[in-house]
Amino acid sequence: MQLSHRHLYCCATLGVLSLLSAGVFAHNISESNARFVEALSGPAVVAFGYLGAKHMITGFDHLLFLLGVVFFLSRPRDVVVFVSLFTLGHSITLLLGVFAEWQVNAYLVDAVIGLSVVYKAFENIGGFDRAGRFHLDARFAVFAFGLFHGLGLATKLQGLTLTSEGLITNMLSFNVGVELGQIIALAVILLILLRWRVSARFEQQAFAANTVLMTCGFLFAGYQLAGYYVAIQ
Amino acid sequence: MNSETSRRSLRKALLAMLAAAAGAALLLLTLVLPAEYGVDPLGTGEAFGLLGLSEQPPAAVTPQAATFAVDVVRFELASFESVEYKYRLPAGASLQFGWEASGATVFDLHAEPDGAAEGFAESFSSGKADADYGTYIAPFPGIHGWFFENRSPLPITLTLTTAGFYRTATEFRDGWEMPRQLPPVSETLVP
Repeated sequence: MQLSHRHLYCCATLGVLSLLSAGVFAHNISESNARFVEALSGPAVVAFGYLGAKHMITGFDHLLFLLGVVFFLSRPRDVVVFVSLFTLGHSITLLLGVFAEWQVNAYLVDAVIGLSVVYKAFENIGGFDRAGRFHLDARFAVFAFGLFHGLGLATKLQGLTLTSEGLITNMLSFNVGVELGQIIALAVILLILLRWRVSARFEQQAFAANTVLMTCGFLFAGYQLAGYYVAIQ
Repeated sequence: MNSETSRRSLRKALLAMLAAAAGAALLLLTLVLPAEYGVDPLGTGEAFGLLGLSEQPPAAVTPQAATFAVDVVRFELASFESVEYKYRLPAGASLQFGWEASGATVFDLHAEPDGAAEGFAESFSSGKADADYGTYIAPFPGIHGWFFENRSPLPITLTLTTAGFYRTATEFRDGWEMPRQLPPVSETLVP
């Protein structure tokens, strides 16, 4: 199957629409889930693992960033390196953040996450340096933004008033769930990208797709900043 | 890559980012802010009917400045006679009500907003019954209450009991207006 222009526009439109509709719940663990988790005491490996995976798969900001990261990575080794750096980054702050009870404003963290999507897409279209796509800076950036994504996850997880009993087990389960969700999401993203790359128009469409990605990133950041502004009023 | 092509590609990338930022700002101002936060800088939320999406459910508790009053009124309605009885309520104030009649009575629970054109009323519940009970929450400041009409050949007695955050009521009958003062419950019921 070749991805035509029409497919690309469909994907882009769907992407924007789903971002808009997902905006309402993206990044908030749903109320019934929250009530259930708060009623738990002691370790609940599967429940927290499931929540972590669900959070990753329904969190459009994470998915958009992942798409940006792997967009031009064709060698499996590069995919593994970049995704591992991202995973390492968000695991560190997720675990540290919950454990040390960091109180960070979720809106501001999410705004940075939105801007991380813009950064990555801008880098993809050669905004920083076309030749420098794989040098250390790109890796460092992915790691650094991973730290922010983890901070976002930590604030969400702390939003559930967790009992200290079984906290470490539950936190680790959530993190493992996040990684499993990320693998599932990545598999789908890579599958689509592999098909897309063989298309003759890929180079041309890649520019447009990354511009759409930047739009989504700005939109998400703006949505979160507006939320912050409304909340402090 | 020579410096000329790299400069051109950088300019292209910067233009794409500008376009992305402009597109995002447009979507944000026209759709996302009105739909998510009820903030409507360009009036598009109003035009597209998006503002309702961000409305919060009514709060469980609405504080009031002073205590409520209770009121019990009885109306004798001869055949084809009607009466209107309305309370002055601020927006958000609640009214518990119950009325019972000796026969089926045509009723209309409605309100006239302050500042609205003469004769304008918004109807919330109407029909024909011999009793009705419920809670009314004033959606806007104004006078809120019932129109009752006896369309039977026999006289009807109707008793309306309410408790709410009002201090005055007005009875409209045969072209007359009879205002009533309703003291707070602490002055009438508490010994």
